[in-house]
Amino acid sequence: MKKILAVTACPTGIAHTYMAAEALTQAAAQKNVEIKVETRGAVGVENALTAEDIAGAHAIIIAAETEVEESRFAGRAVLKVAIGEAIKDPGKVIDAAMNMETVKVQNMEPGTNNKEAQKKQVTGPYKHLMTGVSYMLPIVVAGGLLIAVSFIFGIEAFKEQGTLAEALMTIGGGTAFALMVPILAGFISFSIAEKPGLAPGLIGGMLASKIGAGFLGGIIAGFLAGYVVQFMKENIKLPKNFAGLVPILIIPFIGSAIVGLLMIYVIGTPVKMIMDGLSAWLTNLGTANAAFLGLILGAMMAFDMGGPVNKAAYTFAIGLLGTGFYGPIAAVMAAGMTPPLGLWLATLIAPKKFSVEEREAGKAAGVLGISFITEGAIPFAASDPFRVIPSIMVGSAVTGALSMALGATLKAPHGGIFVLLIPNAVGNLGMYVISLVIGTVVTALLLSVVKKNKTTA
Amino acid sequence: MELLDIIKEDTVFLGLEAANREECVAAMLAGMEKAGLVKDAAAYLNALNEREAKGTTAIGFGVAIPHGKSDGMAAPGLAFAQLKTSIDWNSLDGSPVQLVFMIGVPMEAAGDEHIKILIALSRKLIHADFREKLLAVQSKQELFQVLQGI
Repeated sequence: MKKILAVTACPTGIAHTYMAAEALTQAAAQKNVEIKVETRGAVGVENALTAEDIAGAHAIIIAAETEVEESRFAGRAVLKVAIGEAIKDPGKVIDAAMNMETVKVQNMEPGTNNKEAQKKQVTGPYKHLMTGVSYMLPIVVAGGLLIAVSFIFGIEAFKEQGTLAEALMTIGGGTAFALMVPILAGFISFSIAEKPGLAPGLIGGMLASKIGAGFLGGIIAGFLAGYVVQFMKENIKLPKNFAGLVPILIIPFIGSAIVGLLMIYVIGTPVKMIMDGLSAWLTNLGTANAAFLGLILGAMMAFDMGGPVNKAAYTFAIGLLGTGFYGPIAAVMAAGMTPPLGLWLATLIAPKKFSVEEREAGKAAGVLGISFITEGAIPFAASDPFRVIPSIMVGSAVTGALSMALGATLKAPHGGIFVLLIPNAVGNLGMYVISLVIGTVVTALLLSVVKKNKTTA
Repeated sequence: MELLDIIKEDTVFLGLEAANREECVAAMLAGMEKAGLVKDAAAYLNALNEREAKGTTAIGFGVAIPHGKSDGMAAPGLAFAQLKTSIDWNSLDGSPVQLVFMIGVPMEAAGDEHIKILIALSRKLIHADFREKLLAVQSKQELFQVLQGI
């Protein structure tokens, strides 16, 4: 038998909440429809709908004039009616709910061949991560492409005050990329704890950027903020007169303080230690074994793309560039280009492994890749870190090692493909391009093997 | 607390004649005073009017449930009126009111008790047969029978 669920709530929570519940129950009984009604009134939530109820419902009626935690019904057939309508004409409301198409969310056991259904039922931390990534993605695309356009005027053009290139760099690099990690963290937290989660998440994400923890730090900040706020929402009980203070004062203030302090003291300290430790280690490693150094630098570049490990590698190479060693910077740049390039290639050769959104983002990633904007790979890495990061690290390590072994050199700190066109900027150009291509192909092949099928669409 | 614990002989009005909400409430309040439930009638009336100003208590189907929490009440009390002719009460469904349950609770009265009574009453009022019985009662004893167990 089809089962209908309903939630009733009204601002005073005395009469209408319960009258609507009673009216719907009565009408359902007359129509021989099974129903469960959650009431959210002056005495709290009663007869609460469980996840099991929601999963098994034909449709869910919301007859409410206040917040009813709707997010738990995501993906289900939801009918919203005025509470007065549920009281006045409950029969019609029940009929309308019965006539709705159930949104199919199948509970397939793992191992059945219906991968489609499994994939759609994205829940838990992974769902939160995906929410954060999907809000971040357009910012990465916008910022990355604007920076790439700025490079067209010359790789150093943005350093000239007042030029269009500088403006584009300010929009793309200074602003869009600065928002990237905060938005990722903010919306991970939003997905977990709804609106109250956003502020502590954004603040935690900004701190992750500031302490140099990169997007991995941002993911930590997002989950931290989301679960801290969720805990506060569930556990802070104040007398009714003060209850309104929780979402507007207590959660933003205390929640942000907790998340912020954890980011600075608990996350920030190890991040700094990692950077310092790796820098010292790289210096000791020296340039004796060129291929091995390239391998290490390459893998580091791809590991956290803007985080402490990446920065240690890049800063080390820049330092050597200043003292006349041009090999490491070449390896580093190549290794920073292959992650987005490899992802772009992977979306072409294995489209089934990527969502529609990702396939579109793949095209932008290609442009970012040739411009040495490694960040183009972040949305892909953030949404599937355990498969994507190892794949791009191997690709980058191969590129870095080849670039060093084949004796490629670079006399500029940045610029991607644009710098290849400048005479004498790159030493051993042919070998350099070969290193890049091989790394890109390795990355793409690994990704297409390691990643799971996304959709059949 | 049960509904029958707080409704008194003096607070039941069958075939009450009232021209409007104010008259109806005044008559019911007088009954509550007579039953010794009220310390300060003006204070309680003030609470009732304040609640009414936040949104009508006429919940539809010809029923109104004016209620107020006030130190003007000496003890929790419930009054019932069955009106001879229905009156306008700015009700949610536009229907005039013929049945009135008026509830008063002292500020310090145990937490949600009176709210629970209101809730139980609201749930009952949605059932047409319950309303019909209320409209049909001829005596106080009959009314108490109808209200039994709420």
